[in-house]
Amino acid sequence: MPRWGMLFDLKRCIGCNACAVACKQENTTPTGVHFTKTVSEEIGTYPNVTRAYVPLICNHCEDAPCERACPTGATYTREDGIVMVDENKCIGCKACATACPYKNRFVLKKAPIKEGYYTKGNITPFEKQGYVRWVTGTAVKCTFCHERVSEGKEPACAATCPTEARVFGDLDDPNSKIRRLIQARKGYQPHAEFNTRPKVFYVD
Amino acid sequence: MNNAPVQNSMKPGKWIPTTCKMCLHSCNQLVHVTSDGVVNKIEGNPTSPSNNGRLCTKGNSPILRLYDPQRVKTPLKRTNPRKGPNDDPGWVPISWDEALDIVGKELKKTYEEDPRKLLCAINDFQKLYLWAWPAAYGGNGSYFSTVGTFCGAGYHPMNGMIHSTFAAANDPYYCNYWINNGGGDGFSSHLHVTAAANHMAKARVERGMHLVVVEPRLSMGGAKADEWIPIRPATDRQFALGVCQVLVYEGLCDYKSLKRDTNAVYLVGPDGHFVRDDQKRCQIWDPEDNKAKPWDAEDIKDFALEGNYTFNGTKVRPAFQVFKDILADCTPEKMSKITDVPAETIRRIAHEFHAAAQIGSTITIEGRELPFRPAAYNYYRGAQGRKYGTMSNHAFKLVNFLVGSIDAPGGHVGATLDDQICGKGHILPGDCGQILPQPHQLGPGMPFAYPPNTAHLMDYFPIGVNPGHLIAETYFNPDKYGFDWKPDTMLICHSNPLWNMNGPQDKYFQIMREMRFIVAIDILLNESTIWADIVLPTLDYLERWNMTMIEPPDTEGQCLSQPVVKPLYDCKSEEDIFNELSERIGILDVWNEVQNFANGFAQKEELLLKPGIKYGEKEIAERKGLLWNDKPIEWYQEHGHCVTKRRPEIWYRPWDGMRLHFYLDYVLEVRDDLRKKMEEANVPFINEWEWGDYAALPTAVLDPLHQEPPEYDMYAISFKDIQLNFTENLSIPWISDVVYKDPVHMGILINTKTAAARGIEDGDLIEVRSPYGAIKGLAKLTEGVHPETVAVSNALTRWVKYHMVVKPGGGNYNRILPANLKNTCACSGQMETTAKVKVTKLRSKPKDAANAVTDELTN
Repeated sequence: MPRWGMLFDLKRCIGCNACAVACKQENTTPTGVHFTKTVSEEIGTYPNVTRAYVPLICNHCEDAPCERACPTGATYTREDGIVMVDENKCIGCKACATACPYKNRFVLKKAPIKEGYYTKGNITPFEKQGYVRWVTGTAVKCTFCHERVSEGKEPACAATCPTEARVFGDLDDPNSKIRRLIQARKGYQPHAEFNTRPKVFYVD
Repeated sequence: MNNAPVQNSMKPGKWIPTTCKMCLHSCNQLVHVTSDGVVNKIEGNPTSPSNNGRLCTKGNSPILRLYDPQRVKTPLKRTNPRKGPNDDPGWVPISWDEALDIVGKELKKTYEEDPRKLLCAINDFQKLYLWAWPAAYGGNGSYFSTVGTFCGAGYHPMNGMIHSTFAAANDPYYCNYWINNGGGDGFSSHLHVTAAANHMAKARVERGMHLVVVEPRLSMGGAKADEWIPIRPATDRQFALGVCQVLVYEGLCDYKSLKRDTNAVYLVGPDGHFVRDDQKRCQIWDPEDNKAKPWDAEDIKDFALEGNYTFNGTKVRPAFQVFKDILADCTPEKMSKITDVPAETIRRIAHEFHAAAQIGSTITIEGRELPFRPAAYNYYRGAQGRKYGTMSNHAFKLVNFLVGSIDAPGGHVGATLDDQICGKGHILPGDCGQILPQPHQLGPGMPFAYPPNTAHLMDYFPIGVNPGHLIAETYFNPDKYGFDWKPDTMLICHSNPLWNMNGPQDKYFQIMREMRFIVAIDILLNESTIWADIVLPTLDYLERWNMTMIEPPDTEGQCLSQPVVKPLYDCKSEEDIFNELSERIGILDVWNEVQNFANGFAQKEELLLKPGIKYGEKEIAERKGLLWNDKPIEWYQEHGHCVTKRRPEIWYRPWDGMRLHFYLDYVLEVRDDLRKKMEEANVPFINEWEWGDYAALPTAVLDPLHQEPPEYDMYAISFKDIQLNFTENLSIPWISDVVYKDPVHMGILINTKTAAARGIEDGDLIEVRSPYGAIKGLAKLTEGVHPETVAVSNALTRWVKYHMVVKPGGGNYNRILPANLKNTCACSGQMETTAKVKVTKLRSKPKDAANAVTDELTN
């Protein structure tokens, strides 16, 4: 059984957010919901200045605070390490969103999704075919594109990344690209001090 | 959980190969269509060696263009006769028959009166042959657009003269030292950006390629570079000349290449022309025999690059010496004062560039031994969009020339626009062993005429790209320019001229207001097309056929677009629209002839379009595929494309055995010919033609913008990022969502210290005023911009609320640019794209920010 993780190569990422848009078209997330995105930050003072582009995603923590906080057991970790939400058990209490130190949880409004990408009440055929997956009032999150992964595909964000800055793979396989990169380039976890043991790594 | 898939790509459906049209290039895609017929996922086609199965931000977003509720769904007719930026056109839907009859009748009326009176803005890059439609109409194509001119009027002809190509880029496979000057290649813009970003990342991370980025603003590339060198805007040519000075005066050149591969050895007389013998042969100086010899003499022992000599009683110098003499004035110290780049930095970059070039080394590729020059200087719009456009472009090429990296593995390599037919070379032999300069890569040049036949004076730009902005001069001064006719009709096709034209917006408003008739052909409305009398809606690329390949830097082939869904609305293909209009005007047969030429069908006789037949989009696409590789359209439907890596023999040194134009005597010949024609025709504005813009070699002369009055004490530049590369995309919610969250697109960028000195804080409303116009915006303080510069994202400047998800901004950046002859390169037509400005604080942190920056447009 693999243990899935993702690595972000900060040397490659150019902050284009193709990942964010690929996620939106793969998952039809409603307006305002981004399972992944890339943010930027300026570092230094002129002329010794640069800008860092940092991809963000659910870290699928081994010791997931969201899972511990969930009162109904809706949040659970699959055998392959992907942290999921069972929308049939979720009561929309937002405990997971509060507990997540990385703020990578979203809770859908209780009302049906009427706010289309363009305007209220104007839902495109694309949204119509996609929004049926959402149970209003429940917590949602990145699933590492679990269905794609089951079929041997990469998550949509990693598959499209123009610079191959996102590496998805099996953290338990010593020969996987992700493991080799973590070792060769001293991969680190985001805010390791939170002690949540993320399955997401960064290399500089 | 139920078991039905929730992820879009995993739902029942089929994958159909097609080709992206979210920018002008052609990434290969796979489109997932559900069993209910909804397009729900688009991915890169992994069989493509171009984009390698990957897509950029825009390439991920076409679904929302297809399903945009604001697409034009039927032909529209205007009911409000009053035309202005804020006037509701009062559209009413009409039938195609009625619309085509109205447009056909109006265009026929103009055609019969004087076809020159039609102004065109036809800018679909994936159907380049449509650009040639005005040729069928007979009007020589007066432009009301600056597409091609902005990015380069100086750029494209220079590539045509140096490489015989439309564009150029560094070789990502072998380059070890890459200078990016004012260009987004590999990061944010230009050629096949997804592919280029992929190659760039691999080169940097896997091969350790060193990247130096020279530009006023810390762009994506600057942020990823090993070194960002901030430079004062509009001084890039002087930086390049400083680098050249070090290479030449410290003896750091590829002398073997200069002697063998270039005309730098040809002798130049006092008039700047090559000297020739009685058989018109160019001359070289043989230092062994100490005498001049014809360039092709068999007894040449060596070529002099330097020295002063006498030929037939005339003082002569090798072209290289001419450049060396110019460079005497371009020391790093002097260039430092102009560019604000420290002299030691210019010197160090020259040394690093030279060391990385490995002069003398070779590489064997597919059995062919080639010079190996893994150092290359790349540049694009920001660096070359100058009044002295030809000189600027030439300066950057010369850095590459000096180390022998033009078209060498690892070097700076030409990229053709569209090869059309597999196996056709793009190099032609020219005069005296040189390649034939081919500045007109978009179509044939315009013949000289006086009175002028074009409203934008293209009759006087024998080398350049259409300077559409000059209509701001000619339309209002017809007597001065000798016009005995005046434009009164306009055709807009996939263009937004009010948006792309530089200079005085009120004049462009007046021109549009005075048009007797305007027809617009597009998928969405924009700032310009809302002025139309009739709008003819086109299909989305996911609904139509096309075959294209546009300036791929390192691949070749053809890419098919095919309908993946039935048209959602009552729209037609561009081919159907132009066929119907051509038939109504009575020019269908000529149009077919023009298409045969523009598409290259004449190269295979069986593909020729015949008179009297209206060829649809599928038939044109099929012919283009057959022209390339004889494969039928069914083959393309299955594979989507036939893209391969560019063959080394046509990529690297395809001109081997000929000489490149280090020295552009050709430009001087064109200048002399034009001047003679203008004198003979008594062209009254001849004295305004700045003949110095026609230069055989660049000098360090300052572009005129630096001489604006001193109160304009800062520079303004504009920029785009990968989310906005080439075409408009802010109307796509996914794009505007990520763009408007990015700090560089959230305000007018101004250096923190500069802002502090002027009492400007983050979020203050500021005005940026040039001698030509003003824009407003919220200040965004940053360390990542040169202290004398404000930088304006293209995303900030929309000014008409025509689309529900586009944020109005503080006016169009282009408004602060001049549109006059003084700031237009008389050789290339390139306009100045940087402005001198004064920056004034208007209000502290306005609460109603959105309204505060919305420009008050006059009706």
